[in-house]
Amino acid sequence: MSNRVFRVALGVIVLVLMSGLAVACGGGGGSGDGGSGKQTVNIGYSGPLSGPAALYGENALNGVKLAVDEINKNGGVDVDGTATEFKIEALDDKYLPNEAATNARRLAQQSETPVVFVPHSGGIFAVQGFNAKPPTEFILAAYSSVPEILEADNPNTIMIPPRFDNYMEPFVKTEMDKFGKKLGLIPTKSEYGIQWTKQVTAEWEKQGGEVLKNNGVDYTSTTDYASPVTQALNEDPDVLFVGGPSQPTALVIEEARKRGFEGGFIVMDQAKFEEMETFTDKKNLNGSVGVFPTIDYPGPGTDQFVKYYEEKIGGERPPTSEVALNYQAMHIIAQAMADAGSVDDPKAIMEAVDGAAGEIKDEYRPYGIDGMTDDGHLNGPVIATQVEDGKYTELKVPQDQ
Amino acid sequence: MSLFFQQLINGISLGSVYGLVALGLTLVFGVLRIPNFSHGALYMVGAYVTYFSLTSFGLPYIVAIAISAVVLAGMGVVLERLVFHPLRDMPHTHAMIGSIGVLLFLTSGAQLLFGADFRRLKSPLEGSISLFGIGINQQRLLVIVTSLVVMAGLYLFLKKTVPGQTIEAIEQDRVGASLVGIDANRVSMMTFAISAALAAVAASLVAPINLISPTMGDVVNLKAFAIIILGGMGSVPGAIIGGFALALAETFGSTYVSSDFGELVGFLFLVVVLAIRPSGLFSKGV
Repeated sequence: MSNRVFRVALGVIVLVLMSGLAVACGGGGGSGDGGSGKQTVNIGYSGPLSGPAALYGENALNGVKLAVDEINKNGGVDVDGTATEFKIEALDDKYLPNEAATNARRLAQQSETPVVFVPHSGGIFAVQGFNAKPPTEFILAAYSSVPEILEADNPNTIMIPPRFDNYMEPFVKTEMDKFGKKLGLIPTKSEYGIQWTKQVTAEWEKQGGEVLKNNGVDYTSTTDYASPVTQALNEDPDVLFVGGPSQPTALVIEEARKRGFEGGFIVMDQAKFEEMETFTDKKNLNGSVGVFPTIDYPGPGTDQFVKYYEEKIGGERPPTSEVALNYQAMHIIAQAMADAGSVDDPKAIMEAVDGAAGEIKDEYRPYGIDGMTDDGHLNGPVIATQVEDGKYTELKVPQDQ
Repeated sequence: MSLFFQQLINGISLGSVYGLVALGLTLVFGVLRIPNFSHGALYMVGAYVTYFSLTSFGLPYIVAIAISAVVLAGMGVVLERLVFHPLRDMPHTHAMIGSIGVLLFLTSGAQLLFGADFRRLKSPLEGSISLFGIGINQQRLLVIVTSLVVMAGLYLFLKKTVPGQTIEAIEQDRVGASLVGIDANRVSMMTFAISAALAAVAASLVAPINLISPTMGDVVNLKAFAIIILGGMGSVPGAIIGGFALALAETFGSTYVSSDFGELVGFLFLVVVLAIRPSGLFSKGV
C-alpha cells in the first residue's frame, strides 16, 4: 500500500470510528424451567453496560436485580398455584437503538422473557416496533421519561418514570419568579436532551420569558465544559437550563458558579442532585429545580428501600430514581403476573398492572406509584425539588389525567 | 472582547492537551509506522493512575503526575514487547488490529476493575487569577504551562540528546540507522515509553477540569488521529500546531457560529486536508 493511499484509508477509518467507537461485550443464554409447583421465569434487560452510559445502565439493572433477589428470597410469587421465581438475562446494547432491538428480540425468542426492560428512549422506540406483534409478543418495561413513548399507542408498553413534560410548568414558573426572564441553554445534545430543550423553550416563552442562544454540547463527548459555559454566560442569563448525566452536569454548574453566575438552574431529570452533590460543593446547587433525591423522597417505602440498597450494593453510589423506580416496577410486574395467573400472556398481565401497582406492599414502594393509566404509564403523585440554602424543598408536579 | 479572550484561553488549554496526546501518537507512527489505536486507552489509564496516587496515597498533584508518567512509560514498553514487537514483520494491518485489541482490553479492564463510575479529581489549584481583566482558572494555567514545558523538553530531547536523535534517525531511515549501529529495538521501546508518558501527563492535566471514566479516552483518541492526519503523520511540529489549530477552531467555531459547527469543524478540516494535501500539512514526505 502506498503511503498516500494508506493515509487516506486511515483517515476514512478514523471518520467511521468517530460515528460510534464502542466497546463490545455481551453475554447471555439461560432457560426457563417449569417443574412441578415451581418455575423460573426469565426477565430480560437490554441497556448500556459498557461505554459512557454504563453507570446509568448499571443503575437501572441494579433496580430490577434488587427486586428479583427480594422476590426469590421470599420463595417467589404464586402464579396460578405455581411458585414463580425470576432470573435476569441482561444484555449490553451500548445505548444504541438497533442493538436494543436485536437484544430484545433475542431475549424474547431465545430466553423466552415475557418482559424486557429497556432504559433508554431510542431503544424503547425501536422495540415498540415489534413487541406487540406475533410471533413473539412481550411486555416492554420502558424506563425513560420521554412522553412520546405513550403516544406510540403500544398495548404492551409500561412506561415507568414520571413523564418529563409534567415538570415544565412548575420548573419554569419557580425559576422565572425567583430569578428573572432570561433563560440560557447548555443542555446535553442527546436525542433526549433535544426533546427536553424544545419543551422547556416552549414553556419558557409561553410564560413570557426570553430564551437565549442554545449552547448545548454532548455531555458524554466533551473534553472541556468551560467553552459552552463562557458563551452562555456572555449573554447574561438569569436562569440556565442544564442537564445530562449527573456528573458532567455537576461540572457545568460548578463552572458557571466559578465564573460568577448567581442565577438559578433548571436541571433536566436525567441529572440527580444526590449524585451531583458528591461531585461539586452543594452550595453551587442552590437555586436549582430538578427531581427529588431518592434518599429523602417522601414515598411509603423509601426508607426500607434505601436501607436494602445500602446493604446489597452500598459503596460510593447513592441510590437514584433509576434504581428505585425499576425496583418498584419489577415488583409491580411480578404482582401483576400473580394477579393475572399467567407469566406469558402479555394482555392478561398488562390488564393486571393497574391493580397490582396499588397492591404491592408498602416496603416495595420507594415512590408513590399507585396505578397505571390507560395508555400504560405508571402513575402516582410526583414530587420534584427546589434547592434552597442546601435543603431540598418539595415542589408539586401535576399528575397524568 | 472579554468573551474572545476567555475563549482564547479555553482554546489554548484544550489545544495543549490535544497537542500532548497527538505528540505521543505521531512519535509512535513516525518510528514504527503503526497507528496506535490504543493511545486513548493509555491516556485513560494514566488518569486513573494519577487519581489513585492522589486519593489512595495522598501524594501531591505534581508528584502523582510524574508517577503516572513513569508507570505508563513502563506500560508502553510492555505493550511494545508483548504486542507490537512480535508483529513487526507482519503486514501493517496486523499491528492495527493488535492496537484495537489493546484498546478494547484496556477499556473493558478499567470498567471491570474500577467500575463504570465517573470519578472527579480535585485540583489543588481551585482559585483563579485575573489577567488583563479576565479571570483565568489556575488549573487551566497549569495545563498550559506544563504542556508547554513538556513540549519544549521533548523538542530538546529529540534534537539535542543522542537517544533523542536515534529516534529521529530511525524515523528518517530505518535501514540506514541500523547500519550505523542504532538499536531499533531500543528505540521502539523508548518511543512507546515516551508516547505513553505523554498521554499520562495530558490525561492527568485534564482530569481536574473533566471526569475520569473508562471511556474518557475515546473522543480524545479520535481527535488526536484527526490532528496527526491534519498535521502530517509522524511530524512533531504538525502534532503541536494541529492540536492548537483544532482546539481553537472548535472553540471559536462554537462561539461565533454554533455549537454544532464547533463539533463538526475539526472533521471538516480533516476532509479538506485529505482532499487537497493527503500527506498532511507538515509532512516530511515519508
